[in-house]
Amino acid sequence: MDQAEKFGQIIVDTARKNPKKARKLLSMGCTINELMSLMPTSKVSPCHRYGSRIVSHSLKQAIIHPDKSAMVSIFIPCEPLAAAGITPLSVEAFSGFSSGIHAEQYFLNKTKEDGEPETLCSFHRVFHGAMSAEVLPPPKMLLYTNLACDANMISFPYVIEKYKIPSFFIEVPYERNHEAVRYVAEQLKEMVAFISDITGAKISEDELRESVERGKRTSRYYLERLKYVGEHALKGPVESELYAVYSGHIMMGTKEAEIYNRKTLNDIKKAANNDAVRLLWLHMIPFLQPSICQNLGYSTKARITAVDLVYDSMFDLDLADPYEAMAYRMVYSVYNGNIDWRIERAIELAKQTNTEGIVVFAHWGCKSTFGASGLYTKRFEEAGFPTLILNGDGGDPSNCADGQMATRMGAFIEMLEEQRH
Amino acid sequence: MEKNKVQYVCKYTPLEILAGFGCEFDLIDKLADDYDIAGQLSHDNLCGFGKSMLQTVLQEKPEELVLVNCCDTMRRTYEVIREEGICKFLFLMDLPHRQSCCAAEKLAKEFKRLKDEYEAYSGKRFDKNKFLDAVCNDPKPEKEGAYIGILGVRCGQELEDEIRELVPGNIRNLTCARNRKVYLSRRGLENLDEYALVEAYARAVLEQFPCGRMGLLEKRRELFSDPNLKGIIYHTIKFCDYYEMEYLKIKAEADFPVVKLETDYTKQSEGQLKTRIEAFAETLTGVGADGMAGASAPTEKIKAHKAAGGHMFVAGIDSGSTSTDVVILDENKKIEASVIIPTGGGANISAEEALHQALEKAGLKAEDLSNIVKTGYGRDYIEAGSNSVTEITCHAKGAHFLCPSARTVIDIGGQDSKAIKIDENGAVLNFVMNDKCAAGTGRFLEMMARALGFTLDEMSTADENWKEDIRISSMCTVFAESEVVSLVAQNKDVADIVHGLNHSVASKVASLAKRVSPEEGYIMTGGVANNQGVVKALEETIGTKLFICDEAQLCGALGAALFALEQIA
Repeated sequence: MDQAEKFGQIIVDTARKNPKKARKLLSMGCTINELMSLMPTSKVSPCHRYGSRIVSHSLKQAIIHPDKSAMVSIFIPCEPLAAAGITPLSVEAFSGFSSGIHAEQYFLNKTKEDGEPETLCSFHRVFHGAMSAEVLPPPKMLLYTNLACDANMISFPYVIEKYKIPSFFIEVPYERNHEAVRYVAEQLKEMVAFISDITGAKISEDELRESVERGKRTSRYYLERLKYVGEHALKGPVESELYAVYSGHIMMGTKEAEIYNRKTLNDIKKAANNDAVRLLWLHMIPFLQPSICQNLGYSTKARITAVDLVYDSMFDLDLADPYEAMAYRMVYSVYNGNIDWRIERAIELAKQTNTEGIVVFAHWGCKSTFGASGLYTKRFEEAGFPTLILNGDGGDPSNCADGQMATRMGAFIEMLEEQRH
Repeated sequence: MEKNKVQYVCKYTPLEILAGFGCEFDLIDKLADDYDIAGQLSHDNLCGFGKSMLQTVLQEKPEELVLVNCCDTMRRTYEVIREEGICKFLFLMDLPHRQSCCAAEKLAKEFKRLKDEYEAYSGKRFDKNKFLDAVCNDPKPEKEGAYIGILGVRCGQELEDEIRELVPGNIRNLTCARNRKVYLSRRGLENLDEYALVEAYARAVLEQFPCGRMGLLEKRRELFSDPNLKGIIYHTIKFCDYYEMEYLKIKAEADFPVVKLETDYTKQSEGQLKTRIEAFAETLTGVGADGMAGASAPTEKIKAHKAAGGHMFVAGIDSGSTSTDVVILDENKKIEASVIIPTGGGANISAEEALHQALEKAGLKAEDLSNIVKTGYGRDYIEAGSNSVTEITCHAKGAHFLCPSARTVIDIGGQDSKAIKIDENGAVLNFVMNDKCAAGTGRFLEMMARALGFTLDEMSTADENWKEDIRISSMCTVFAESEVVSLVAQNKDVADIVHGLNHSVASKVASLAKRVSPEEGYIMTGGVANNQGVVKALEETIGTKLFICDEAQLCGALGAALFALEQIA
């Protein structure tokens, strides 16, 4: 049993008797992560250590102060929350953290007792279980959207009704056009008013505009970084990529997210050349699987150049209206509308980042991604990119056989190495 | 599938607009035999309907297909069909799910887009009168009186037919694609311009009894206040989570019988489905504590026995997947003989053999039996006896007999596990069964025992001296087997592994039990009740003592025998 596992067991044992105490322990775990990221190490790039620190801090704040946090789905624009000083609680991040310390099975068992289907996305079931176990208290509000998958539309209404949480829903139309951007922008205005109503804090137009501008700069730093990832590599464990996911969504509009992306750009410019196999990754990275950590961590055998869960809504925007700028990121996200856009953007990024192969992580229950498995393979391979459809479960490691994942991942990397000769 | 008809899948499809072009249409609603072609282009974990629809379309190649953007499965399936270039006319309609004032306006735009695209494709002209004839056609009223509703996701014609056969009374199919009612009064419509007309029509389409995907649970709940609704058979498809979550709410709130049928939209799992449907029908018709409703009148032979003051004997046969059990009772409910043999060579042969052995033990002949009731998966394949009762109702009956204070029955058999909540008379109040997965069943333990080189008896006590608390995290039997093999390779102590396995079963079964809102007074039945390790783990997990007796494995057969006796008493 490693340290994280022992800590997880303590949390589970405590949760059975005293859920509030377990919550405090969870936040302590975040603090430990924060402190560990301060310790200098040559194995991890400074930007990633900073990323670990800000993500852990944000998660801790949301867990300790539910009255000052808003539960959000990952695709909700969080710039208004940043402007209002409200900490977003990403359910995916919470679940990922719980799984990282091996506490997820306790929460998943709670959902089984409640009769929830085991086919629902495990990231959602873990946070449902944590709420059912009273470890995670109901938040002050919940903001969600139909982007990017059905799980949002099933999971959030369920907890909203169960715990009577004030909520706001943003519907993103299937078509990508200016009319859709305006439709979403109108809803975002209503969402800002809703946040003000619930918190009693007025969000000024200036603060919102500043937050959106920070978001734009954050996107530009990330897009600029992609120009270097073909040759250079940052150092860190495989989960380091998730800090970019967090900064590009949940923390978008904050100073910290901007700093993190500026740091990553500076670090990668200075980073050494790296000859590990280059992979473009679609969907979540199952960072809990030993097979993935061994193959992709610290850029030895292979490394990830770009993740579509980060670049999905990163654009170099010059839209002046802050609402339209946020709406544009939703409507033109690669996760919205038909699959062609997601495929085209992946091919474009794969070419730009000198990618050798594409991995599509077919996360358990995510029909939005794996429903088009055959199409991805066909189109990517036509474009010259060998493709691996990797079945697994990002939130519940017990739901997949790691040995099988290791074989698939390893064989794919060997195949790409072979193709270099 | 008739190729000259437009194929569709959703009740929000604007069929009346297609009628305006003189089109005929067909709903794709067929259970699949297999997904061999669909599997090549899609993914195993797509919901059964998505795969079935894809399979049907790839096999039968309809020329015209209209789909609705109602879930991820539909969106991706549409893209696969489009890529294959099968249909001459393929349309994906965006259905608004946000209940705002703009919803009808948005939907009207989609209808207009369909109309324009169909016009351009077919070269046909839209005939307003044909459209009005279709939309102003008053739908037929439902048959009045009490009824059972099939709710949830589409169930396929085959399953609907099976339900109609097994459940007595009036059945209404209210599943997502059915119960389509779109109607407008003709008055004033002819004077509307096209835009206003289509918007009025869009409003009528949205005002139907909503499907579960529309997020209008409140409107769907109005159905429950209908005094004629006597029960709900709720159908879900594996990986269609929209309906699974609605079922949770309905189950918690409904004050009438509700049963869930989960399928993968294939014709498999018939045995389990049949048991659930029949058990539900038994709940409705009052089979349980008060005996068998509709049981035939005592025969002349029984009357003669009684008149002569002689003994009377009955038998219950439980034909399970692993074992076939027989119990013979006398008129005083005393067990005269019981037999448990492995099921092999077919349900009927095993039942005949078990009955023969039981009669021999009791010193009786076949003609001495006044009545036989059959239960278990194989009940319909056994020639002896004329009546059958599901194992749910029989286990409840048997458990009440063995332990009158029992309120929650946990039965772990070879192929399935069940939790049954019963009342003070032994009648079923609620029940749940595991799905097709073997986790939490006797089969799981059998496979793990094989992986460890144990017999089932050895497995029962193998964890006695466990030391390290190993958790078997894989719930899937196949993954768990790999995990066990890997633990053995790591030189983990076998006692610790078995202890982990027992807790894995206990966890699965305890979760199942929680779903019937269990009450104190637990009894465990089924063959796994003989496994001391699992019993202990289950007691620890649930946090209470389980009542276990020598007849635990005979509980189903005992319940059947008790029914046999009550029927003729």
